[in-house]
Amino acid sequence: MLSALDKDLLKSVADLEDIPKGAYNIRKNGKLESRSVSAHINIESDEERDGIIVTIAPGTINESVHIPVILSESGLNDVVYNTFVVGAGSDVTIIAGCGIHCGGPEPEGHEGIHEFRVGKGAKVKYVEKHYAAGQGYGKRTLNPTTKVFLEENAHVEMELTQISGVDEANRINEAVLGAGSSLVIMERVMTEGDQKAVSRNEITLAGENSSANMVSRSVIKGNSRQNFYATMVARQKCFGHIECDAIIMDNGANETIPALRAEHPDAELSHEASIGKIAGDQLMKLMSLCLSYEEAVNMIIQGFLR
Amino acid sequence: MLELKGLSFSVVEKNENGEEKRRDIIDAMDFTFEAGKFYAITGPNGSGKTTLSRLIMGINQPTAGRIFFEGKDITGMTITERATAGISYSFQQPARFKGVTFRDLLSVAAKTEKEEKLLEIVRRVGICPLSFLDKPVDSTLSGGEIKKIELATTIARNPKLAIYDEPDTGIDLWTIMPMVNLLKKEQIEHKTTTIVVSHNRSFLDVADDILIVDHGKLRYHGNLKNALPMLNDFRICSFNPCPEGEQDAQCFR
Repeated sequence: MLSALDKDLLKSVADLEDIPKGAYNIRKNGKLESRSVSAHINIESDEERDGIIVTIAPGTINESVHIPVILSESGLNDVVYNTFVVGAGSDVTIIAGCGIHCGGPEPEGHEGIHEFRVGKGAKVKYVEKHYAAGQGYGKRTLNPTTKVFLEENAHVEMELTQISGVDEANRINEAVLGAGSSLVIMERVMTEGDQKAVSRNEITLAGENSSANMVSRSVIKGNSRQNFYATMVARQKCFGHIECDAIIMDNGANETIPALRAEHPDAELSHEASIGKIAGDQLMKLMSLCLSYEEAVNMIIQGFLR
Repeated sequence: MLELKGLSFSVVEKNENGEEKRRDIIDAMDFTFEAGKFYAITGPNGSGKTTLSRLIMGINQPTAGRIFFEGKDITGMTITERATAGISYSFQQPARFKGVTFRDLLSVAAKTEKEEKLLEIVRRVGICPLSFLDKPVDSTLSGGEIKKIELATTIARNPKLAIYDEPDTGIDLWTIMPMVNLLKKEQIEHKTTTIVVSHNRSFLDVADDILIVDHGKLRYHGNLKNALPMLNDFRICSFNPCPEGEQDAQCFR
């Protein structure tokens, strides 16, 4: 049974009011809470390690899979390895997310490793939200890892969001792109207080005419710290771009290192990075429209993380 | 409705020898703008026009003097407070955002998110196509497009006093006259006191009063006809600064 607290976490990480329709797997406090499969999407427990294997049949169009994880037991550290096998020519949305409610003094954490094997010509939209809440002062840790393998002409869009309450996050994203495939990653992270977030990304453009665009938006409040590292490796004629912007507020700290490595003469790689306070001209414009300073800051941050 | 009393803005600069020297950008300016009139402020580059308009909006704080709006001293007010009092401002170089659309800005300016109201404003402004609404106000916009959006957000507030700092920068030839007509129409229909900082003759043509500023001082105030000799040859004025208190002689001695 899902409690009111569980439902609140589910809403925050998966936009779910209740049990979703279609294929889903809800994991609560390290155990399977409920699962449902559909005609084209199968979910089974991994025999070798803790986690699930989601198999999407070739040609599955317009279907979605929800795999939220909720933690509401103080002192639990949940490690899970999930594998997604996406059949050729399918077009699906995968919604993952982890919500932690920490009510006690013990630390709570979740380490989720998600591996995607995306078949020829398949399209995947992956949405992942991380959120933590609760009055307890136990440290809340989320260490997500995604490994994405794109076959020929596959297309993957990833939205990775961490908005609130996570004390420490170490994220690793790895991707290997086959010929003609494309990958778009949008990462949004907001930290506050003494939180720390590190994001390490390694994207290998292995196939001819593959393309990748990695966008990172960071808002660093209070005394928090965020580090962003991204490396794009080009092995063929391909296109890659990294865009990383950070807004520092209060006494936050940020380190941003985009790196490009071309191993082919026809590789086109570029990056842009910026770290700074909220621009004065943006604040003045919004204040000239009657917003107070605080309201203007809020609107700029919301837009930036949109 | 807007009164400037001894308004000054100066900065301290270092010369070649490292000595500090005060430079007056706006120099003890006195002027009263009357309600419902259309004013065009012109003058050479670096004369202080933009600074003057920024002082009125509160973007910069004056180093001396006072500003009164509808009889109330607004010198110490923030930008937000002046905006709430009814002053609206169009920036010469509008801010570009990330993830903020024209719709977002317009909703804030008009204090409504209703589609029909927003479309009504876009139609009233005329110079922005309806398709602009969901455009992000970011670096992908051209210089002309962002100026049109800036103008629309200024008008959407239904201000008592609207200040436009060089609204025609980056605007194509075919949009300048519709823009001039729009500001004139807003002045007449909504009784908006209008101040346009511009070098463009089209704005001077429709203005009720012309103000010529140079070296931080008001050199001329009057109609366009009498301003023409100065506009054609600025030396007439710059070599003969008007003494303070001399009301009628202005620069035509």
